[in-house]
Order: sequence, then C-alpha cells, then structure tokens
Amino acid sequence: MDVIVCVKKVPDTAEADVSVDAGGREINKERLTFAINEWDNYAVEEAIRLKEEDEGTVTVVTVGGKDKEDILRRSLAMGADKAIRVDMEDPEDSFVLANVLCTLIKDQKFDLVFFGAQSGDFNSGVTGAMVARMLGISHAAMVNGVEVLDGSIKASRELEGGLNEIYEIKLPALFTIQTGINEPRYVSISGIRKARKKPLDVMTPEDVGVTEVKPMLSLEKMYLPPPGKIAEIIGGSPEEAAAKLASLLKEKGAF
Amino acid sequence: MTVYILAEHRRGELMDVTFESISAARRLNDEVVAILLGTDLADHAEKVAKYADKVLVVEDERIENNTEAYTQVIGEIIKKDKPKVFLMGNTSMGMDIAPALAIDLDSPIATDVVGISEEGGRIKVNRSVYNGKVLSDLVLREAETSVIAIRSGEFSAADLEEKNGEITKVDSPLKETIENKKFLEFVEPVAGAVDITQADVLISVGRGIKDKDNLPMAEELADAVGGVVSCSRPVVDYDWLPKDRQVGTSGKTVKPKFYLAFGISGAFQHVAGMKGATMIVAINKDIKAPIFSVAQYGIVDDLLKVMPALTEKIKELKS
Amino acid sequence: MMEVEEGNFDEAYDVYACMQCGKCTGSCAVSLRSDLNIRELMRIAILNKNEDLEKHEEIWDCTSCGICTVRCPRDLKPAEVIIGMRSSLVEGGTIPVTVRDALESVGTNNNPWGRPKSKRAEWLEDLDVKVKNISEGEEAEYLLYIGCTASYDPRIQSVSRAAINVLTKLGVDFGILGEEEPCCGSEPRMMGETGLFEMLVEDNLTLFDEFGISKIITLSPHAYNTFVNDYPECAKRLKEDDVEIPDIELEVKHYTQFLEELIDDGRLDGEMMNEFSGTVIYHDPCYLGKRNNIFEPPRKILNIIPGARCIEFDRREDRSLCCEGGGGRMWAEGTGTGERNAIIRVNDANQDGANVIAVACPFCLSTLEDAHVTAGYEETMRVMDIFEILDEVLK
Ligand SMILES: Cc1cc2nc3c(=O)[nH]c(=O)nc-3n(C[C@H](O)[C@H](O)[C@H](O)COP(=O)(O)OP(=O)(O)OC[C@H]3O[C@@H](n4cnc5c(N)ncnc54)[C@H](O)[C@@H]3O)c2cc1C
Ligand code: SF4
Ligand code: SF4
Repeated sequence: MDVIVCVKKVPDTAEADVSVDAGGREINKERLTFAINEWDNYAVEEAIRLKEEDEGTVTVVTVGGKDKEDILRRSLAMGADKAIRVDMEDPEDSFVLANVLCTLIKDQKFDLVFFGAQSGDFNSGVTGAMVARMLGISHAAMVNGVEVLDGSIKASRELEGGLNEIYEIKLPALFTIQTGINEPRYVSISGIRKARKKPLDVMTPEDVGVTEVKPMLSLEKMYLPPPGKIAEIIGGSPEEAAAKLASLLKEKGAF
Repeated sequence: MTVYILAEHRRGELMDVTFESISAARRLNDEVVAILLGTDLADHAEKVAKYADKVLVVEDERIENNTEAYTQVIGEIIKKDKPKVFLMGNTSMGMDIAPALAIDLDSPIATDVVGISEEGGRIKVNRSVYNGKVLSDLVLREAETSVIAIRSGEFSAADLEEKNGEITKVDSPLKETIENKKFLEFVEPVAGAVDITQADVLISVGRGIKDKDNLPMAEELADAVGGVVSCSRPVVDYDWLPKDRQVGTSGKTVKPKFYLAFGISGAFQHVAGMKGATMIVAINKDIKAPIFSVAQYGIVDDLLKVMPALTEKIKELKS
Repeated sequence: MMEVEEGNFDEAYDVYACMQCGKCTGSCAVSLRSDLNIRELMRIAILNKNEDLEKHEEIWDCTSCGICTVRCPRDLKPAEVIIGMRSSLVEGGTIPVTVRDALESVGTNNNPWGRPKSKRAEWLEDLDVKVKNISEGEEAEYLLYIGCTASYDPRIQSVSRAAINVLTKLGVDFGILGEEEPCCGSEPRMMGETGLFEMLVEDNLTLFDEFGISKIITLSPHAYNTFVNDYPECAKRLKEDDVEIPDIELEVKHYTQFLEELIDDGRLDGEMMNEFSGTVIYHDPCYLGKRNNIFEPPRKILNIIPGARCIEFDRREDRSLCCEGGGGRMWAEGTGTGERNAIIRVNDANQDGANVIAVACPFCLSTLEDAHVTAGYEETMRVMDIFEILDEVLK
C-alpha cells in the first residue's frame, strides 16, 4: 500500500492567550508554539502502521515555507519514507490549498491518501474531501478505523454519539482521519536526527504545475468573542438548576 | 431567494440538526425547501413539512445510508433548481458530503458555521476559529449556489414558524448504484468496553461523590444522556472506579463535547486532562473551587441532590 | 531489543559485575507496592538482550530515587540501567501515553506540563515585589531557577512567590528568567529521552552563557541534581562529539544550601522571625538526601525558626521513604496497587504528632499535599515548603 499523507503545521491555541493583530485579519503568532496538526499526526501514524503490517511506502506532504519542514522531519522519523514540501505560502483558503495538493498528488503513485479530519486552527474539515473530488477518487471523512481488503478498504466512520458507520471503499481512495484511530508513537530527538538522511523534496509551485484559482472565502475580519471567563452560575433549587441544565444540554445537542 | 436544506435521518430517526438547518435558513430568506432522501420517508416528510415551505422526497433504497449517493442526488437536484444556498449540518454526514458537493457544483463552501446573513446578495458567515478563541466573519465568493454546513446546537429550532409546506415526490436522479463506496452496517460502540477518550459526554465524579454507593447514581445519569462515567484520581485511589476512568496528567486526556464535573475541585493535574472539552459544567458545593474558572456553566449545590434531579429531567425531555 | 546510543547495553552499564545479591530490590522505594524488581531487570540486562521491554510496564514505576545505586555493593548503577531501558523504549516510540505527552510538551512548550510557554511567568502576577528579569537584560548575582512544576502548578506556584518574598527580604541580589526559563531536563532524562536531554543541556548552557549566568539557586532538588551531576558529564560527552558548548563553570546550590550559608554568615536568624506554632517534621527528598547527601541545611533552617518544634521521621535521611514523585512518575501512575508511599508518609507524620510536614521539593509537595487530603488530614495538618514557612514567619 502506498500512502500519501497531507500534513499541516498549526499554532497551539488550546491554552495560550490569543489576540488579533491590528489589521484584524490575523492572530498574533509571535508567542505561540507550533506543531503538527493533531489529526494529521494520527493520519501519519495510521499510514505507517499500514506499511508495517503489509508493505509499501508513506509519503508526507506539506505546503508552506521552510519553517514547516520540522513536521516533515518528524514524520520521517516516525517511519515515513519520503517527504515533499511545496515551497509557497500556505494558502489559507481551503479551495486554493486543495487545488495545489490535487495537482501534486495526481502525478504521484498512490493507493491511499490520508488527511487529518480537520485542522486545529480553522477547523474547516473540507480540504481532504475536496481533493478526493478533484482527483475523482472515493473518499470517507472522519475515519476511525481502517482494514485492508483485496483492492478495497473497510473503513469505519465516526458518527455522533459513538455510533460507527462501516463502508467498503474501492482503491484508490482518500480518507480524512479522526483522532483516536490509533495511539501515535513518540518521536525521539535522536530519531529525528537519524531521519535527517531520508529524502525531503522541495518543489516550487511551478515544478508542481499549480494553476491559479479563485479563493472560496474572503476574510472580512477576525475578532475576540466578548470576555466571559468565569462560569455562568445556574441558580435555583437543585431541581430548578437541574431542569435548566437539562434544557441547556438538550439545546447544545448532548442528547 | 431560496435555500435548500438536507433533512438528516438515520436508522428511522430524524436528526435535530434538520430543524436547526431550517432555523438557520430562515435567517436568509423567504423559502426553505427540505430534501429528504432514502427509504421509509413518509413520517419524516410530515415532520419536516411542518416547518418547511416545501419538502422534496426521493425514495430510492440505493441512496439510503450512502453518503456518495446522497452527494450525487443532492447535486442533481441543486443543479436543476439552482437555489442560492444549500445548507446542512456540519455533522459527520455533513463532513463527508458538503465539501464533495461544493466541488461538484463549483460552489464556495463554509463549514462549522455559527452565524449567517446576506449582504448585498452575498452570503456572509460567522465561524469560530482557533479553539473558539477567535471569531471570524467571512464572505463567500459569488456563485450560483453556496454550500453551508452549520454547527449543531447553534441555531435554536425552538421557535420555528409553522408552514405546513407541500410534500413533493421526485424521481430519483441517481444514475447508477454506487459501487465504489458501499455501506455495510452500523456498529454500536462495544458495550462494556468503556473508553473515556472516545465519549462525547462524560459524567465525571470526584471525591465529592463521597461513597461508592453513590456511583450507580452517576451511571444512571450517564445512561440517560448516553455518556460515560469518568473520575478524578481519588475515586480510583479509593477503588470506586478502575484506573482507566481517571482523567488527568497521570490518567487520560479527554476532549468530549460535554464534561460534567461532579464534586471535583479542579486540581491542576485534573484540569490538564479535561480542559480541551467543548463545554464544561461544574457541580460543586464550594463556589471557590478552581473548577469554576475552567467551566462555562456551574451549579453551586449538593451534587447528591442535583445529579438524580438532572437524570429525571433528561429522561423527561427525551420522552 | 536493548540498545543504547553507542555500544551495547551490557558494556555501557557494566551489568556483568552484578552478583544478583538483591540489595537493590531490598532497598527499592516501590518494590513493595509494584511489580518493579530491579534485580530481575539487572538479570535481564545481563542475559536476555532480546527481551521485549514493552512487556515490562513496571519499568515506568521507578521513581529514580537512586537508593538502589547507593546500596549496590558492586558500585553498579541500577537506577541508570532503568533509564537505559526507558531510552530504548523511547527510541522505539512505544511508551505510556502520558509520558509521551509530557516529553512532546518539553519539545514544543519547554515544559512537561502541556502548558504554553507564554504562561510560564503567570505566577508572578500576584506578587507585590519587583523581581529582576535577567532575560530582559537586568543584571543579578544569582539566577533563581524556578523550574517547570513551580511555574505552572497553582499549588506549587505559591512556593515560587514565597521564594521571591524571602530572598527579597534577605537582600539577596537575584533575578529570574521569566518566560525564557527553560526546562532543566532532569525529568526528560529520567524518562529516558537522552537526545532531548542533550539538546536541553546544549541550549541551556548557551543561554546561561549569553546572559552571563554563573551562580544558580534552584527551588527543586531535581534541577539542582541535574545541573550539578548530569550537565558537566553530558557537556563533556557532547564536546567530544564536537558539539559547540560554552565553557562555563556553574556554581549551583539548592536553596536550602544557600540559606544555610546566610545563617552561617549571620544574615538569617531567628530574631528576624515571628513565632511559628507547630510541630514540624521534615521529609528528606531523595534528590537532596540519597542522591546528594544534603541532610543538614534544611534542618538547620527549620531549627532556627522560633516556636517550631522540630521532630524527625523514623525513616529519614538516606533511609527516607520516597514520595514517588520523581523519575517521571508525575506522568505515570505505574503498576502499583495498594497504599501510596505518600499516604504512608503522612500517616507516619500524623502518628509522630506532627501538624506540619516540611518539604524542600516541588514533587514532594505535590504528592504529600494530595496524600494528606486523601488520608483525611486536611483540617489537622499542613504540608509546606520550607520557603513557605519562612515567608510566613519572616518579619
Ligand atoms: C503526581 C500526581 C499526579 C496526579 N494525577 C492526577 C490525575 O491524573 N487526575 C486527577 O484527577 N488527579 C490527579 N492528582 C491528584 C490531584 O492533585 C487532586 O488531588 C485530585 O484531582 C483531587 O480530586 P477531587 O477534585 O476529586 O477531590 P478534592 O480536591 O477533594 O475535591 C472534592 C470537591 O468536591 C466538592 N464536594 C464535596 N462534597 C460535595 C457535594 N456533596 N456536592 C458537591 N460538591 C461537593 C468539594 O467542594 C471539592 O471541591 C495527582 C496528584 C499527584 C501528586
Ligand atoms: S531508583 Fe529507586 S525506585 Fe528506581 S529501582 Fe532504584 S530503588 Fe527502585
Ligand atoms: S545491588 Fe548491585 S550487585 Fe546486587 S543485585 Fe542489585 S545491581 Fe546487582
């Protein structure tokens, strides 16, 4: 099985204080730390497991500047065989990005393409399925289990409420991988050092043959939601409070 | 302007997000048309028609439970009717269908949308990005049809206006049976095997639960909401629950959609394991407990009273 | 497979000299409550080079207290053998998830707690006194090295603030590194991430050199131990590999040693303090006691506090019962069942009539604080760092 995994480097904003820059179009990134998108890490691990079980290759791909290479090196250290970086500014528009990736992938040899189900920065979750459509191959989103059959894959898709939906999908195919599909291995520093010898190709958009396409979305502004740090206390007797909480949970879709 | 929405249903049940989609669509226009695909649709059609201006029903068993067939059929309908917007839930189904549909239709798409409006003929959406810390306003590029997937729970369907729209049967535009992507079955989460990292709802109990004998109360609540019971470390130390239920730096890191902390003070090691939850509710009798500074909602009261009451209310709301 | 960076496992640790006497296991901090049997692991290191270490979950139970190394009659280093075994697991990538996350966090956030680097100095916010920040160009004689746990854990942050108050009152010329403070690497090393540790040594020595830091006071015995014992050795090894490392001599003291000197110089005495009321029992941390033979300084400080009645544990000094906080155990529960050592410890303290347990290590504070609540002493006993006691009594 030859698998291509598309990965992205994202800022860790789970806990950091996030502010919007003066232009109102971007967040201030100087004090943030960056790492491989969590979902992508599971995707890389899954691809490597498929290779280890059977045989084949794993190629990791990212679009972005040289500062994005560390996530490729890390993936190589995890067990990927080859990495490709398309040397251009990471397009924020999913459609523009999908167009670049599709152009690149269509000339590669592959059975499977993996994406993370979404990225931790914009949470759009569209790039993978778009690329599949552009390539004209089958896809499944939110995949949390993969079993290789002859010429096809049995894939489990995570639905709401813990239910799974099982599909048989013919190869070649593209999956967007959900966290929890596996337990990604640790990548040691010495492992990263040793993987320096593995090939990392840098391609310009011209090498890839990228054509210009129109972005789907234009950003008007970014802003911080009104502050509301401390918990909103639900008052009343235990029964009243419980009733309010129950309605709130229902409204938010807990059950 | 017309908005088409997808009525999502699974295993005989119509999903709430259908009505939320109608609610979102109402913010844009005067006509909402719902698309209902699959088999055994009569009941669903009636329920949806109550609030939609029109329901298009395509009965075709080749579509049932097949997201690829869904995509193709919706695509055909949209190409023919050319509504300004196609809208559905950003559910697991939506994540499979919507982006593919956007490519098929050469449409712009916005997903996980929490606010929507029209400005000068163009669709403007509000999305929350960077872990909910930043909001962004985006305008979709000009197009015949735009595709929108809304976040569940954001557009309340509580006050929908009754329309009692007309139900129209449409011949299935699906050209051929989908062979490349075959639906096989639904698989229930394995009963008994509890994985707190995979649950959408966690009922988490701490030392405040006081006694092992009170745990069935938590299990009952978890059953009522379809969640799982997790806990803080002392509960494991006292042997009230097994180790694999422990949340925290030396237990498990969880990111459920709902985390209900009962009698948990919110120690550093515990919070580190659950702060990624989408919505945190703390039930604690001590208003000064640090858990309230990570929770969005709180109840300051005796959990032994709140918990059974909550179970009852949820059961009521469900029936 | 057991491999170490260079050469073979058995040679690197000289395991053949082991006579399987079992003194290590006999003294081991956790062998009574876990599956960890260090003598058995020594045997595996000698005989079964192809042993599947992933099966041996108990390798993560070791608290790296070091007592086995102290007791070994053949002068072997069983505690290091465990680190070696962990190293080969780390290289293989299959390690407990919590340990994985902690190590990854050191790589990205420079702390094992998964907290953002930009919040490392948040504990300073509630402080009244002004502290010099060496990373912002201010000059000071000493660097007060706070460490990751005392920077992020709200309970332990109180020790950092106490330290600032006390050192300021005593007129010490010191500064901190604020957000720029790095992880010392002690815990990553103990968890077997040798490569990461080497990287930290290289980066940190460069950083210290850049800011002209040569004298360091640490809050944590773990940071102290690694600066004093591990850094020089690692720097030497790196230099041999032609890594460029600044030639700096660090003078590092644990804060109890530093305060002892102030006492000896007459700059700190009981006159400067208000009355403290309580029976205080001192818990020796492994990284001061067993690993570095520092027993006197903390006792000397406690003894000058007026009103503090100082008593001793039966198991003290090099026989002190390990609290199970070290060796990466903050991020690994271990296979242990039954009573935690920390619970035994607070029960002992209670039986001995203490109502204050004095500690000098952030990990001990964390484990004993937690245990004293679990054991039901929340109302009757306090667990305090010596800095916190001083902050309370200093006029
Ligand atoms: C090395 C180490 C690792 C650790 N790892 C973890 C970990 O992974 N996970 C973890 O959880 N902890 C961990 N801890 C323990 C942690 O420090 C805390 O001690 C623990 O989280 C506290 O659990 P708790 O909140 O349930 O109990 P407490 O802190 O005792 O809080 C109980 C809460 O219940 C409330 N309460 C009591 N009765 C009622 C009532 N009737 N109704 C409503 N509220 C009530 C109280 O107001 C209080 O806030 C670790 C500690 C150490 C030292
Ligand atoms: S270092 Fe301590 S815990 Fe680890 S094996 Fe030796 S005695 Fe046991
Ligand atoms: S104490 Fe030393 S010689 Fe004895 S069994 Fe342990 S390692 Fe071997």
